[in-house]
Order: sequence, then structure tokens, then C-alpha cells
Amino acid sequence: MSAARADLAKPAAAIPRSFRKVLVANRGEIAIRVCRTLQAMSIPSVAVYSDADRGSPHVRAADEAVRIGPPAPADSYLNAQAILDAARVTGADAIHPGYGFLSQSAAFARACGEAGVVFIGPSPEAMERLGDKESSRRAAVRCGVPVIPGAEDVPDAARALAEANRIGLPVLLKAAGGGGGRGMRRVASVEALAEHFESARREALAAFGNGRIFVEKLVHPARHVEIQILGDSRDAVAFGERECSLQRRYQKVVEESPSSAVTPRLRTAMEGAAISLARDARYAGAATVEFLLGTDGDFYFLEVNTRLQVEHPVTEMRFGIDLVRAQIEIAAGGSLPKPTAPSGHAIEARLNAEDPFQSFLPQAGTILALVWPGGDGVRVDAGIAAGQTIQTHYDSLLAKIVAHGATREEARARLRTALSELALLGVRTNQRFLLDILADDAFRTGATYTDTLESRTWPPPEGVPDEALVAAGVALFAPREALAGVGERDDLDRYSPWLTLGAWGRPGFAPPGRTP
Amino acid sequence: MSRPLTLRHLGQALDVAITLRGKDAVLERDGRRFEATVARDGAWIEVRSGDRARRCAVARGGRGVWVSVEGTTYFFEAVEREAGGRAAVASADEIRAPMTGRVVAVQATPGTKVREGDLLLSIEAMKMEFKLTAPEDGTVLEVACAPGDRVELGQLLVRLEPAADGERA
Repeated sequence: MSAARADLAKPAAAIPRSFRKVLVANRGEIAIRVCRTLQAMSIPSVAVYSDADRGSPHVRAADEAVRIGPPAPADSYLNAQAILDAARVTGADAIHPGYGFLSQSAAFARACGEAGVVFIGPSPEAMERLGDKESSRRAAVRCGVPVIPGAEDVPDAARALAEANRIGLPVLLKAAGGGGGRGMRRVASVEALAEHFESARREALAAFGNGRIFVEKLVHPARHVEIQILGDSRDAVAFGERECSLQRRYQKVVEESPSSAVTPRLRTAMEGAAISLARDARYAGAATVEFLLGTDGDFYFLEVNTRLQVEHPVTEMRFGIDLVRAQIEIAAGGSLPKPTAPSGHAIEARLNAEDPFQSFLPQAGTILALVWPGGDGVRVDAGIAAGQTIQTHYDSLLAKIVAHGATREEARARLRTALSELALLGVRTNQRFLLDILADDAFRTGATYTDTLESRTWPPPEGVPDEALVAAGVALFAPREALAGVGERDDLDRYSPWLTLGAWGRPGFAPPGRTP
Repeated sequence: MSRPLTLRHLGQALDVAITLRGKDAVLERDGRRFEATVARDGAWIEVRSGDRARRCAVARGGRGVWVSVEGTTYFFEAVEREAGGRAAVASADEIRAPMTGRVVAVQATPGTKVREGDLLLSIEAMKMEFKLTAPEDGTVLEVACAPGDRVELGQLLVRLEPAADGERA
């Protein structure tokens, strides 16, 4: 990595014990990323897979692999019993849940404890305390962490109006049981409030079986800023912030650290708030405390993610820490790593199987060719390989491309180069959209807010370059003559994807995931 | 020999002619010529014209060819034409699959008239349902899929005969 990063975090001092074998209860890029750390720690790893993932790269990333069920998540990656059985059969004494799936299930953490397997994460009690929206909000109030002014459990429109007048318009109506933006309404006027309240309640009831509504002050425009913490149930330490304002439908697209809006003073305040929440819950493991940051510099508690985040690599690249290793050491009874001085700037872009120019429709298909980027300061965390068929059972994240640089501008330039070098053929992705975001003035100047991506349109590139048409012609008509290179085979069925794989898949395939 | 070719990209048909001789390539397009030399560089095809060289990754797959140039990926459905002729497309509107997925419902029936915006069929992928509607008034000529079918990106689903101007609603 770059020479600027001299001070790496020291490994935890004394590890009373380590694990015999760790089962990774996840799939895709995060399962591979966790296996990589286990390998570095010389701990044998176990992958689990559904029938849809039999040939997926995460299965090969572990020392052994166990089938846990049919493709549907409820039958496989969410099937606690099948996963615990896999741990028992293989002799794994700990389970790393990754993110998503069972990572935030207190019931699963509890079941692990009962089965005598260590859940690499917080205790079920700490998870319930901080993972539940209402209970974490109460914890925030108790710890003196600013929360968005509002009222819980508003029973009717009249009361909603009284609350709106108290906190001031505009307000946000939110389903208590909701998530992902469903059941949310922005209300700017008194006249519109009653109607919006009733429709939000109907939607909440239909979607979540719970018609309770929150009324909150609308912080707009706002940035999404989150603090990475590690706790060991006695104390907690913070590793700076990540800004994840660039979102679509509440899904983060580009994340970075540090945030261009966070001053040292603000950082100290936000880290202090996050640490006090972790201490209050006697939290052990990695967590992320999410805040909304207004343009006036006021911040408000949003929620706690009681697990590793998708975007954790930007923190790892700046602090030179391996957060998965820290999670494992803490779960094994080790002590907290000391935060070191961060260096430079890191930006992550999420490569998704979706068509940015057709309503972000999810895409499926077989990856015909794959070329990963490289270069100084570039990290690729991927869960895919050439020849793999991307299916529609799971989420659309294919890989995370992360770049580190001495400055934000250097990180941005490196990430743009990396995304231009990346070639993935056979499945449409949001690659062009990511490049457009990185080139955009809003991102270049750091004017990033939660509505930046959705408040405007991102048109497809205009026209098709001549070179692309020539290359298409070469691929169709003359692979042998024009490309007198190695590995050319024109004697097979010319429309077989395996031909193109033979010719193009192998030489271009580089194993992803240079660690920072 | 010059080979006429129609490359369909995002619903648009690009009529071109390509001549390849050794490393020399000539593209004829929109009444102009683009001359280049092509060479292989690892997994890439380098297309050089004058001072500019662009690296393209290519792969043939299924119904066409994928090309990636400087971070933008194109999928061309390829139709090779007879020399001098035009591809047998374009008289009827073709509704093609915008993603690989499963057909969940088909509303279109051959022979029936549809108005612009009428629902023709729905496709599902990754738990998202996408509705395909008639791009203009017309008559359904052909329905090339059925509920439950797995369809691939770019696959023909429905053909429409656009209404003559006098018939338009």
C-alpha cells in the first residue's frame, strides 16, 4: 500500500484463546473477505452454501463447505438450524455472520450460545438494546446523544398536527415497524398532514402489520455520516467516520472516509456520542452508529448497525486495521485494538448487477469475461468469478472497488481509473453510473447529500464509439486473424459462452481482493 | 471483404459495415469511414486510429456481443445482413426483455389492438417486477413467451404492428 501509511494498528496484545475453526454464515464478497482474514490468522474456515451457490467463489474461498439448503434465503442463509448443524458437523466453534442475513438476529446469537458456538458479534442483549430502533433511540436520549426531535406512537391525525406544530414543519412521517423507506412521508404543509398520516398508517399496517407512526422533524438537506466503533463490553473505541450520503432508495452507492463536512471538533463529538452508546449497552464487537448531519452542523442519531458494514473497507484503508480480525479477537476474549492516526482518504464504489439506464432493474446472466483493476491504493472485494451465473435470489452487490489516496482528489482519481480499467461482460452493471457520480461536480466538490442521486436524472452515455463497433466486429468475424494471440480457439461453436471464456476469461481473471 | 452488420443497442439498430484484413479494420457507419488497426493486449483488443488508442474487452455470448470500453459496457445484439441489404427488422415494434428473468404474466394476445401504455406483460427478477407496456398504438402480431418462461436479456417477447396514422387514438 501507499508509503504514507506508516502506522498500522498494533494487533491486540494478548489473545487468551483462539478459535479452532470458524464457520462463515454468509455468501458473496463478504464471505470471501472474512475467509481471507481467517486464512491470515491460520484459523480453518467453513463456508455454507445454498443450491444456487454450489459453484460460487465463496465456496472455494473456505477450507471446507457445507450445503445448507435450497436457494430461497429462508431455507438456507436464514436457516439458523441448518447453519448450526453445519457448525456441529464440521467442528466449528465460532460463527461469523457477515452482514445481512442472520447478522442482526438476536435469536440466532442466542441459539449459537445455547449450541455452545461463539457468535462473532455482540451479545443478544446488546444487540436488542442497540439494534431495535425504539430501544436504541431511548438509549440515545439516556446517553445525551441528540435525536431528531419528534414523537413516537402518534395515535391520530389531530395529535400528529399538534406534534408537527410543536417541532415545526416540514416533518417526516415514519412507520415504527418500517425500514428501507417504506411507509415514509415528507409533509411540508399543515393542510396535507391529515391525508398523509392516514395513508402512511394504512401502508404501515399493510406492510408491517403495525400501524404505529412516528412524527419527526425533517432534516433536509442532510448528509449520512456514521461512526465505526469496536467494543469489548467494558470499553469502546472509535475509528472515525464514513460519509454515505450517496444513496438510491436507501441503498448506499458510494461511501468515503473522512467526510468533507466533518470538522475535527464535530468528529470528536460524534465519536463521543457513539462510544457512550456502546458503553451503555456493554457492547462487544464491531458496530456502526449512524447519524444525519444537517447543513448547520447539528447531528442527530439515526440507528446502530450491530454488525460489520458493507462499507467497512474505507475505514480499514485509512486506519490500516483489519476490522474482521478485530471482531474475531474480541469474540475470543482479546482486548481492543488501539486506534491509530488515520491517513489519507478512501472512497468505495459498489458494483451492482443492475441497469442504471433502465430503472436500475436487477440483472442476471453469466459472467463471460472479467478483468479487475489494479494499481497503487486500489482494493477489490469481490464475490464473483468469470463463468459464474449471477442469479436473482440474492442482492445485487457484485463487488466493492475501493481506492485510497493521500488526498480526497487522489483517491477519487484512483477510483475513477480503477473503474475505467474494470471490465465485466455478460451481465449489465452500474459501472458507468459509478463513474458518472465520481466525475460529477457534486461529488468532486463534496456537496453530497442524501437526495443528491435521486433528485436528478443520470442519462446514459450518448452514442456508441467507433472503437466499440470495430471490437464487436472483430469478436464476431475474425477472432483468429486479428488477434493472433495465445489461447485463441475458433474451432468450437462460435456462440458458446465457453468459447469466449476460454479466449477471454482466463487471461483477464485476476484473483480479487488485494488487502490494504 | 466488407460485411454488413446490424448491431442492436438499447432498442436502436446501428447499420454498419466492417472490413477486417489482418490487423487492419475499416468501419463504415453513417456514411463515413473509420480506419483502425486492431491488436490484442492481454484480455483486451486495442483499437488504434491515428493518435488515439482505445482498449476494448469483448466477449461473444448468447445472442450477441459484449464490449467494454473505458468503463462503459455495451451489449449488441448482432444481425448479419446480406451485402447491400437491410436487416429484416424495423417494420414492426419489437418488445424485448430488458433483463434476464421470469415472465410472471402475459396480457398481450395476438391479433388484438393495444393503445400506447397498455400492459403487455410482466417480468420478475430479484423480487422486482417490471411491467412492459406498448410503446405506441398498434396490433399485437406475435407473443413469443408464456407465463413462467425464463427469458434472457434482449430476447424477443412481443411483436407489435404500429397503427397506421389514421387509426391512432
